Amino acid sequence: MFVLSFLARRLAQGAVIISLVSLLIFTLLRVVPGDPVRLMVGGMAPDSLVEKIAAEMGLRDPILVQFGRYAGHVVRGDLGHSFVRPANGAATGGANFDDTTRGERAAVADLIRDALPMTLQLAALALVFALAFSALVGIAAGLRPGGAADKIAFAVSSIFISLPNFWLAIVLALLFSVKLGWLPAIGYGGFSYTILPALVLAVELSPVLIRTLSGAVAAQMSESYVTVGRIRGLSETRIVVAHVLRNAAVPMLNLLGVQFSGLLGGVIIVEYILDYPGLGLLTINAVLQRDFPLIQGIAIVTSAIFVVINIVVDLAATIIDPRLEY
Amino acid sequence: MDRRHFLQGLGAFAAWAQINPDVLVSPAFAQAGKPMVFLSAENITGNWDPTAHTTLSQKNIEGFVMGFLTRTPMRLDDPGQVVYELATEITLLDPHRLKITLRDGVTFHDGKPFKAEDVKATFEYGARSDRPAQWYPGPTETLTVTTPDDRTVIVDTSKGGYPAHLFIFLASFLPIMSAKDIAEGPGGVLTRRLNGTGPFRFAEQRGNTAVLKANDTYFKGKPAIPGIDFTFTADSTTRMLSLMNGQASIVERLEPEQVETVQGNPKIAISRIVSVENKYLWFRCSKPPFNDVRMRLAACHAIDRSVILDVLGSAGHASANFVSPVKFGYIDLPNYPAYDPAKTQDLLAQAGFPKGKGLPPLEYITSVGFYPKTKEYGEIITAMLNEQGFPVSLTVLEPAAWNERLYHRPGGGPGHMIDCGWSTGSPEPDLVLRTHFHSSSHRITGLEDAEVDASLDGERNAPTLEQRKTILQTQTMPLLAAKAPALSLFTSAMIHAMQAELRGLYIYPDGSIDASRGA
Repeated sequence: MFVLSFLARRLAQGAVIISLVSLLIFTLLRVVPGDPVRLMVGGMAPDSLVEKIAAEMGLRDPILVQFGRYAGHVVRGDLGHSFVRPANGAATGGANFDDTTRGERAAVADLIRDALPMTLQLAALALVFALAFSALVGIAAGLRPGGAADKIAFAVSSIFISLPNFWLAIVLALLFSVKLGWLPAIGYGGFSYTILPALVLAVELSPVLIRTLSGAVAAQMSESYVTVGRIRGLSETRIVVAHVLRNAAVPMLNLLGVQFSGLLGGVIIVEYILDYPGLGLLTINAVLQRDFPLIQGIAIVTSAIFVVINIVVDLAATIIDPRLEY
Repeated sequence: MDRRHFLQGLGAFAAWAQINPDVLVSPAFAQAGKPMVFLSAENITGNWDPTAHTTLSQKNIEGFVMGFLTRTPMRLDDPGQVVYELATEITLLDPHRLKITLRDGVTFHDGKPFKAEDVKATFEYGARSDRPAQWYPGPTETLTVTTPDDRTVIVDTSKGGYPAHLFIFLASFLPIMSAKDIAEGPGGVLTRRLNGTGPFRFAEQRGNTAVLKANDTYFKGKPAIPGIDFTFTADSTTRMLSLMNGQASIVERLEPEQVETVQGNPKIAISRIVSVENKYLWFRCSKPPFNDVRMRLAACHAIDRSVILDVLGSAGHASANFVSPVKFGYIDLPNYPAYDPAKTQDLLAQAGFPKGKGLPPLEYITSVGFYPKTKEYGEIITAMLNEQGFPVSLTVLEPAAWNERLYHRPGGGPGHMIDCGWSTGSPEPDLVLRTHFHSSSHRITGLEDAEVDASLDGERNAPTLEQRKTILQTQTMPLLAAKAPALSLFTSAMIHAMQAELRGLYIYPDGSIDASRGA
């Protein structure tokens, strides 16, 4: 019963969040410079033609009217069609206003369906790398606050958090791909192409995870149940693995939810630099081409993912620690 | 050289080219066994009809797939050189009639034999006024194309009143389509795939990659390269990394700093050629203050172009004309506006704005992320103009927003000056001059000047190429320099980097590549 009421409440909240995000993106797109109709019809088209096509597409109606119309399609599962991309998904440009022969436009849902799994794969692998590394460094640091491991963890976190991801992507590509030849770096031709961008993202994620984990472990180690466990003769390993880490997992879990959602935004630069065909690359090209339906579709999907992840994380946290209430 | 000698020269070259049709291909070229991966800086249009776009990257793909009547290498030492491909001879019968003799034994990728009907259909379709590319000197109604037999085409321009020799240079720029494809009309099969007679056939579009395969029936023999993956990769660093780790075979549009980085790398070869593209500062000539020629000249004399070239490094080439030095008719114009602050001040005073006093705020628009160093030299130009009293502010936009503001509109278009390059893969100078400076076009400047129109009509209508060259060099181009509807800042250098085994690959000044060497 709790689960059902929890889900109903959170999904309703999520729907409101997604609607607000969509409205915000929808409004922003229409006030920034760069008229999509001008880009669609070509620079040489007369203003009158631009206005005519814009009016036909409903782009000169009040924003709320446009949004209402768009939302009506979205609730029916129709995210619309790209303004510029053909059905084969290629990034395109150079359209001309009197070109009546342009091929069929790609459905936004299809473009997102192709790109999203790539980004989810990248984000998941980045999370695995980041968790493995952070656990190694963060737990050691948390077990002996102020010790050598803690100092190393602090130094590593400080360095990692100072590295811009676009710079790191280039440097790691130069090292692992150009110099050592261990990994492919550009584009996508199989799972191995995910490793290098995942490493870059893992470096970006690790500092927060390390600090959270070391802080949580250190806090748990000072709890009375740890002392009691020792008095009862439990081994240090059992205390740490079975009790300390379980209790330290709740703040980590919440953080992971936020970080995973944040990754969906963080991939943009890395995917662009390494030409990784995920949602980030799709987003950049859509923004550069003022491809309104695609940008809106991506915003809705990513905000929905954000909402779902947070619901799942909160639900998992209540299972780990039943005292928690959301 | 008179017309007779010119045509004799053309004929002699044609005969030589028939003996050695691979004249453009370096013998050093070999990379058998794996596809050549080309990373392009520009995306394509999503419509494969060659008459539907003017997009350079797609023209480059057409260069691999489509056949052309001739090819023009366009090198500095011989800008007018013509190499025959689908044509074996082009003869000017009289000022309005051109005879094209076609090569035998050529087939399209779909198996259709190449015949005169294909050239006729291509010309008549491409010249239609509803086709967006608009490369032709006049619409279809001004042309009469006849085919006495399968190997002969006669182009008659009498109805249009312009000379037939205009098709000599255009012949190297117009991809020949199949009459069968054209019969389906706009919206038919032409939009969905390329079908040509070139060394590579179009296989599929896979995401951002156009996949091309070697043409087994290519008339010069199957190319050694089994295929080409032509991929849009927007970021120049990404392209360079991909080349350095061996994923890419060849990349284009290197930044000058990248050239320095890879210059010592023995695995990588660099190609730098003077391109067909000039970069311009375009004035909005239909609105104040640049509707006054004195103001345009004043601004031109305020700009020291040698400083801009210093900033560009290897990406720029000095020129003093409105077309590239590899275009037909180029000369260094003696009256091309040079840096002369005293002249600027004199012209400002004559125009009623001594030291710039009384001028409204002026906007100079440029882009960042497509052409090299635009922001950097845009800032320099802005500083130079301000130094002379022009109250100029620079607006730097990403390409989509800049492109939206690029062209002329009634009333003059956005801003007062805008930066843009213009590149057309043919020696034909009118693809720049007439396009931009004839009042029938407007394009970016919006110039309407009867004297310029008359001069452009005069050079176009000259009965021979030699006479046309004389008119261009002694009348039209100097007149444009005196009217300054734009200032050509420099000619771009086309810089490619490639795996060392591709060294010697022939790259045309518009960026298209000859990868056709036989197996």
